[in-house]
Amino acid sequence: MEYKVEAHRIMSISLGKIYNSRVQRGGIKLHKNLLVSLVLRSARQVYLSDYYGGVCVRSPHAGGVEWGEGDQMDSDGSRSTPDEHGGESALVSDDSVRIPEVSVNGPAAAVEGQDIEDLAPGSDYNCQQSPQEDVGSVKTEGSGSAETGGPGSGSEHCVSRSENSQQGSAEVTATCCTRKRGAERSASAGSPVKRPKATAVPALPPVGGEGEGPEDMDTGNVSSLITIFGSSFSGLLSKEGAQPATDSEDSDSGKICCEQMLPNLNPWSTAIVAF
Amino acid sequence: MKCFSRYLPYIFRPPSTILSSSCHTEADIISTVEFNATGELLATGDKGGRVVVFQREQESKNQPQRRGEYNVYSTFQSHEPEFDYLKSLEIEEKINKIRWLPQHNAAYFLLSTNDKTVKLWKISERDKRPEGYNLKDEDGRIRDPATITTLRVPVLRPMDLMVEATARRVYSNAHTYHINSISVNSDYETFMSTDDLRINLWNLEITNKSFNIVDIKPANMEELTEVITAAEFHPNQCNTFVYSSSKGSIRLCDMRASALCDNHSKFFEEPEDPSNRSFFSEIISSISDVKFSHNGRYLMTRDYLTVKVWDLNMESKPLETYQVHDYLRSKLCSLYENDCIFDKFECVWNGSDSVIMTGSYNNFFRMFDRNTKRDVTLEASRENSKPRAILKPRKVCLGGKRRKDEISVDSLDFSKKILHTAWHPSENIIAVAATNNLYIFQDKVN
Repeated sequence: MEYKVEAHRIMSISLGKIYNSRVQRGGIKLHKNLLVSLVLRSARQVYLSDYYGGVCVRSPHAGGVEWGEGDQMDSDGSRSTPDEHGGESALVSDDSVRIPEVSVNGPAAAVEGQDIEDLAPGSDYNCQQSPQEDVGSVKTEGSGSAETGGPGSGSEHCVSRSENSQQGSAEVTATCCTRKRGAERSASAGSPVKRPKATAVPALPPVGGEGEGPEDMDTGNVSSLITIFGSSFSGLLSKEGAQPATDSEDSDSGKICCEQMLPNLNPWSTAIVAF
Repeated sequence: MKCFSRYLPYIFRPPSTILSSSCHTEADIISTVEFNATGELLATGDKGGRVVVFQREQESKNQPQRRGEYNVYSTFQSHEPEFDYLKSLEIEEKINKIRWLPQHNAAYFLLSTNDKTVKLWKISERDKRPEGYNLKDEDGRIRDPATITTLRVPVLRPMDLMVEATARRVYSNAHTYHINSISVNSDYETFMSTDDLRINLWNLEITNKSFNIVDIKPANMEELTEVITAAEFHPNQCNTFVYSSSKGSIRLCDMRASALCDNHSKFFEEPEDPSNRSFFSEIISSISDVKFSHNGRYLMTRDYLTVKVWDLNMESKPLETYQVHDYLRSKLCSLYENDCIFDKFECVWNGSDSVIMTGSYNNFFRMFDRNTKRDVTLEASRENSKPRAILKPRKVCLGGKRRKDEISVDSLDFSKKILHTAWHPSENIIAVAATNNLYIFQDKVN
């Protein structure tokens, strides 16, 4: 499981870098943040790919977690993690990760959760190799994170994509992965998309509260994650009671939010799977 | 291959730094180095927004061995820190690139850019000044007109040479993202400035208008997958330019094809080796610099671990690939942690396009001879470089038994990196920027 530890570490470091980039002089560097978000995404997919080991049948080409090049993720030697079960588990766990900034999409999340359950029996469909390239994931990403006020449309989009796409679970994976990545990307890109999102996020929790039971269970986690993605991490640190992060603490802040996030994935995803 | 031996006793530090190089200020870090077209001038830009121009001494018959040393010619503040109030962003004054314009008269012109603004500077000499004004005396004090009884015509008298730099044009407000390159066209009328997502074409005379010739910004920023990392005009075809991307591809565009050159004419990319796949594959394949050869037939690109030479007529794979520091491949995770993996190394051709040079860590820089296939690693450091000393080739030991003069990978100092180098256009003189120090090396005098 060294790769899991490694992936976790890389995720913490990446989050720390993204946080740091917000406060550094000269503004957010688009290129560097793009690269960091790529690494973060890869590490996250690797990390979560084994989280629910054995959920799905292993696919012969276990590289779907990547951008879509079909190559096996291989940072610490060979990895035996199946891909599309990884995709599924990533999807499932993504729901919890997504909660805060996507509480609007709460219903969508639930719908997607259902989709997964529906799709699971169709193992052939799920067990396909990851999509062609960025295009697949990118498109879903665009659709997924662009909408902030239309949970219904989001979920429909996800459903239609998963039904129509040749690319199977990986596409759906990408859809859900996009949420979190969308948050990071919007944070890192410094584009106008970021501001409306950031302001919209704090307003969301009450809306999301009316959603499903599983969501309610994690309100505490929700608010902490909101502060992570909605307000440049300082909210998280104040929540922790720690001093505002200095340069030396960038990796710590990354670790903090990672560690807060990841342990809570378990109960949340358990609920989803049961549901 | 000529060995770089004779070391010109030139370690430059801007006057404001303390003598010890270990406590330099951030502002003194050199961020760009560029020879002009004749090699007579060498410009450096630093993080503090200053430009320092060196001029080569004329060769004197009295001291033939002191052939053409470079001395400070002009220093000026090119860019100041600015604040974008709309986005609450500070704009760094760091000089990202300097490009010289060809010389038409006695003055020298260069373009310098920071993240947002390009400026055209005129560097001119003044060695005469007018004396004998009527209305003011030699100190500049105004004379009482009532005391003036005769009129005289002011005459020009020689004075100590003064070099002054004036900003002639300021090309601003055209880039939303950070400018990473500028390139002067061979028509000497236009230049382009490149940021992460767009390339703009300017006329040197016109500052309030620029034409967008490449735009890779997606309609939805969430769909962003690659950015432009560098761009350059072809050295003799004024309609051709290339730009490199963070995905490791290079696109060659022809401005005659359409006004917006989003569709490339040629696409250079080498398929990735799947056995080298890792978390960091995308980062290390991102191209940090692209340079045309002087003859315009080849293209050189630098990514994190390699330098590649491409033939413009072959898009499928590079002509030559040189490993700069492949021993770092197993250390990518640590380099990611300390941010070194994001370092943008530049690469340069020599005048005859037979040798290429690029920097590395530990103040090492590497040269590759394309003809003999030999390469050398040299170090730019004060301790190893006495005047007239011959630079000793260095070697990094990969593990196992370390020989006497070798240095092990773990002992490399990653804070000492050589990102910027320049090669004289016709002679074997190189300028190497090591953090805040500039080293100028010259080939043996024959």
